[in-house]
Amino acid sequence: MVTVSMKVNGKNYSGEVEPRTLLVHFIRDNLKLKGTHIGCDTAHCGACTILWNGEPVKSCQILAVQAEGADLTTVEGLELEDGKYSIEQESFREHSAMQCGYCTPGFLMMTRYLIRNNPEMTRDEIREQLHGNYCMCTGYQQIVDAVQDAQRKFIKSRK
Amino acid sequence: MYPSNFEYMRPKTLEEAIELISSMEGSRVLAGGQSLLSMMKLRIFEPSSLIDIGFIPELKHVKLEDKHKVRIGAMVNHHEILDNPIVRENLPMLSSTAEKIADLQVRNRGTIGGSICEADPAADYLPTLMALNAKVHLKSKSEERSLDIEEFIKGPFETEIQDGEILTEVEIEKNTENFAVEKYARRKADFAVASVAASARLAKDGKVEYIRVAIGATSEGPKRLKDIESSIIGKTSAQLDLGQIIQNTISKIDMISDLHGGSEYRKYVLSGMLMRMLESLITKGRQR
Repeated sequence: MVTVSMKVNGKNYSGEVEPRTLLVHFIRDNLKLKGTHIGCDTAHCGACTILWNGEPVKSCQILAVQAEGADLTTVEGLELEDGKYSIEQESFREHSAMQCGYCTPGFLMMTRYLIRNNPEMTRDEIREQLHGNYCMCTGYQQIVDAVQDAQRKFIKSRK
Repeated sequence: MYPSNFEYMRPKTLEEAIELISSMEGSRVLAGGQSLLSMMKLRIFEPSSLIDIGFIPELKHVKLEDKHKVRIGAMVNHHEILDNPIVRENLPMLSSTAEKIADLQVRNRGTIGGSICEADPAADYLPTLMALNAKVHLKSKSEERSLDIEEFIKGPFETEIQDGEILTEVEIEKNTENFAVEKYARRKADFAVASVAASARLAKDGKVEYIRVAIGATSEGPKRLKDIESSIIGKTSAQLDLGQIIQNTISKIDMISDLHGGSEYRKYVLSGMLMRMLESLITKGRQR
């Protein structure tokens, strides 16, 4: 067993893990944060996307021990302190931007990253940036609508 | 999917990592893990120990030396390569290639050193590194050596790396010639059905002064097409029967044959890509 410590959603955690424990299992099973999903388990579908020092990564393709000292954000970390929805969550809710819903946590995390790093993206650019989250469902229209809406809300919130 | 169990080591310096890898039999180096962990989940690899080189600051540099030599640490990830100003300015062909690798999440973790050591025959970097004449630096307890990328890659998933050695750095001469890098895949994040990296320079009279062409996804691994280069060099586009030159070479190459495409189909795609890309490079010049 190896001891691993990391910050998740602003709180410090440490735990004993087998070296082979995947980060997504550590988050779900040790920390009991079940919002991060395991879809394909092969780094294709993006349902396990979390932010690692602010950058999106796929937590099924990382060992928990590699995250020593990292600062992570999972979908549970999006909610505001007073329990209100964040910009990303609010936009997804307003646009009914779920398909079967399984991929939604990953899309939310990508939205958090994208609107903060390039809030001026066009629809085509958004689609391009989201391709690590495409799964099996249909056209992602409402999801792109929601990301665009989140961009607008984010720009407005900064003014 | 869990990999089978292994012992985990987290060295803080390169020296410590080399000491570990030379003393532990059956160990493997873990870089970003974007390929290795997939293989371990499928139990294609079951190393007895993993040496994680992700905590070693001296493997994360990008430096420009003497204004013409770019040195990239093994642990620099794909996103950094596409974003780094030194790489963008001195090796635009490499940053353009990094942009085509997988998706944003994978690019944030996957590293150039890891990708080279994996030597996947359809990997995106390898044809570009061949066209750029990259060198890799290897270090072991007793020796430090550097090899041309063409010597280092022996075939699909096979490299010249010896037990006890770590790939520490990639060294590439500044290259701002006109280039074209393309990858064809049904979905962008997939491995290439066919990929081509080429660069060229024309003299004032339109003759081709310099040309490099390399391809990926062949059954022998990535490959520089020296036949094509030598048929083109010193000529103008009007003097060349490009279609014939490409056919002569492609007919001798076997492509990978799998569920993403059979060998014949891949050859067909590859010929079309080569035709279009080379034609544009040797007539108009600049293409991205």
